[in-house]
Amino acid sequence: MMGGAPATTRPEVLDGPFNTRQLLRLDEALRLADSSTGLTFSVYVGDLDEPSRGHAEKLLGQLADPARSVLIAVSPNQRVLEIVTGEETRRRLPDRDCKLAALSMAAAFGGGDLAGGLVSGIAQLADHSGRS
Amino acid sequence: MKFLDVLEPLLPALLVVAVITGLVYVGSARRARRYRPGRPFDFTPVWFLAKPEQVTDAEAYAALPAGPARAALPAGPLLAQQEVTEPIGATGGASDRW
Repeated sequence: MMGGAPATTRPEVLDGPFNTRQLLRLDEALRLADSSTGLTFSVYVGDLDEPSRGHAEKLLGQLADPARSVLIAVSPNQRVLEIVTGEETRRRLPDRDCKLAALSMAAAFGGGDLAGGLVSGIAQLADHSGRS
Repeated sequence: MKFLDVLEPLLPALLVVAVITGLVYVGSARRARRYRPGRPFDFTPVWFLAKPEQVTDAEAYAALPAGPARAALPAGPLLAQQEVTEPIGATGGASDRW
């Protein structure tokens, strides 16, 4: 999981929006999604520059294999959610399935449940992607 | 007076209960950074991956040593005409707000 720092200092990820239990749930969801689909799932939580879609696509481009990756970018302060799929991923995970996952995630976020929405969204996207 | 006599043996137990309750409330108050829509929520941006080495510009991770350089093959007539315009390719996905 990213967001780490040298072991001697407090990891930056603990200053993020999630507590330890939620981080563990997210980590497990990402590992399961990666291993079951063969794709790379990643989650960004933080402010997005406008246009948010372009910023999310730039983040996807920073991954090692953007074509086979899925990025879920969430900006709680802007109340924006972006799901970006790479070129190859798009064939396995159609935009319609992404929209369904986005709807359920946005509903959870609207209730204040960031971690729960992300975990269920990752599971939903992985389920729609099918096995590798 | 009679009430105090009854209460006196229970004082240690009541004290223990009060301390435990206090600790629970202090602990939960410190962790209470729950996101509430519409209210400012300051935190450090985070980016999660199951395998962090999958980020191309992750400075925190040491790069593998480069292999021996090989001469590039000359481009054929078709490839020579093509230009790479979109490195990521066509992306898909969805957007939403709440």
